[in-house]
Amino acid sequence: MTGDPLRQPVIDALSGIIDPETGHDLVAMGLIRSVEIEGARARVTMTTTIRGCPMAEMLRLGAEAAVASVPGITDAEVTLEWEPPWTPDRIGGGVWA
Amino acid sequence: MPGKHLARWTLSWFASALSFLLAALALAVPFAPAPGAWLEGRGLALVHLLALGWLSQMMIGASLQFLPVLLARPLPWPWLSPLSLALTGVGTILLALGFIGLEGGGTGLLALAPLPLGAGLGLFLLMAGGTLLPAGGWRDDAGRPVLLALAALILTFASGGGMALAGTGGPVAISPEALPFHVGLGVAGWLGLATAGVSYRLFAMFLIAPDGGGRLRRITAGAALCLTGLLTLGLGLAGHWPAPGWLLPAAMICASVTAGLYIADIAQVWRSRRRARPEVNMRMTRPALAFLALAALLAPVAAIDGRFAEAAVFAALVGWLSGLTLAQMVKITSFLTWIQVFSPRIGKQKLPQVHELVDDAACRRWLGLWFAGAALGTAALLAEHAQGLRLAFAVLLVAALGIAREVRAIRRLAHLSFAARPPVLPPLFLPQLRMDPT
Ligand code: HEM
Repeated sequence: MTGDPLRQPVIDALSGIIDPETGHDLVAMGLIRSVEIEGARARVTMTTTIRGCPMAEMLRLGAEAAVASVPGITDAEVTLEWEPPWTPDRIGGGVWA
Repeated sequence: MPGKHLARWTLSWFASALSFLLAALALAVPFAPAPGAWLEGRGLALVHLLALGWLSQMMIGASLQFLPVLLARPLPWPWLSPLSLALTGVGTILLALGFIGLEGGGTGLLALAPLPLGAGLGLFLLMAGGTLLPAGGWRDDAGRPVLLALAALILTFASGGGMALAGTGGPVAISPEALPFHVGLGVAGWLGLATAGVSYRLFAMFLIAPDGGGRLRRITAGAALCLTGLLTLGLGLAGHWPAPGWLLPAAMICASVTAGLYIADIAQVWRSRRRARPEVNMRMTRPALAFLALAALLAPVAAIDGRFAEAAVFAALVGWLSGLTLAQMVKITSFLTWIQVFSPRIGKQKLPQVHELVDDAACRRWLGLWFAGAALGTAALLAEHAQGLRLAFAVLLVAALGIAREVRAIRRLAHLSFAARPPVLPPLFLPQLRMDPT
């Protein structure tokens, strides 16, 4: 639900993760595709700038750890998706949906 | 699985390649032949220490790391990588010793060298082809030039091996008339096209630019196909029929056109970048591309009347390919080191950024010195000035030592504050036995 009070804290937590290549955080880089909250459950889909990115799994685990640490969230699930692919136009656009 | 697209032996390839570079330059300072005499044993040994030991090993190490990343497809049989590394290393040393034997001492090693070299390159081809072909690499803008490069590598090896065996009178011997086609396939075909193919997407990534592609890349691939086709034809004719006089000039004109289109393409990627201030690896890519342009201007002249051939090969191998490789080596090493050391802690603590591992100013200085040495060497070959060429090799050696020192500092995280460094550092260039559990 877009209006959920936990949505913003989850997005803030994701903003705490910096892409070490560019210095931008995951949200500012436009790498977060969606954030869904159901009660104490957060489901996030994210992407990487390139499909075979060697850091993809580590970023996903890091995002999951950050979301799980948000007070009120007991269950965090972050999945990777690459279609449609990321383009530099996503930078600064925030969460896709 | 964490880091599933991470090749484990990349830094071992880099370390071996860098050792070949330093050894070749250290030998070149006292022993480099005078301009015009590079077809003697010593010159051939130095050229192949650079082309196979340094540039090819770097290219192979980088391809095994980045083909799976760029094509999003894991490498088949990654355990062949250390075997290929050892065989290409031993084969290159035997080849160099064999060439030196041409000046007296026998050519036995020259006949032996193609065995380990062929086996090592063959294993690489198996891994690279095993990634590219099932991924439909020929449909991909970056895959096409790399596939052409792999074909050129096979032909370079076959022609080089055949010429090496020419002295032994074996059935596979190839006439020395194949030489210019061997050089073209090795420098422009294998090293040049592989570098171009891998660079398209890597540069877009480093510059945060849209992954261009499209029509320009298809036309460039057409010119590259023309180039490899004509060189292959020349190789096939060598020793059987006299090659028509227009063949080599036409091939070199194709090489120049390919180079021009490629440079225009990269300039477009540069202009559409989102990274306001490109890092040192990309800024120092510009002088490397200037050397490519210079080599592309000299090559057709060299093909028509033989002048400038050594200068063209030098500008391509030392200015363009080595300069570009050294600049990207800094970036790739810092990136891989960051992943190795810090990626398990993402989301758990504040981490340094990749560029903090690199001393930008020092790298810029050493790379600048490298390009100065490359310019001096090219000028010395054009002016046929033996002392100038020796001096150029001395400058290049100092620059390479400086860059090697920077790469070591990156691996040791020497530019980070003590508090930001982990208690245990990963091995300098050997693969880590297990992932850091923290
Ligand atoms: C990256 C691959 C290679 C490149 C870029 C390359 C480049 C060259 C160049 C530039 C020359 C002319 C040298 C000069 O003028 O001093 C040459 C000659 C030669 N190369 Fe290679 N080479 C490569 C691989 C090989 C391999 C794998 C072999 C053997 C197994 C080989 C055997 C030879 C031989 C025998 C000659 C001398 C031919 C003659 O003078 O008759 N090369 N190569």
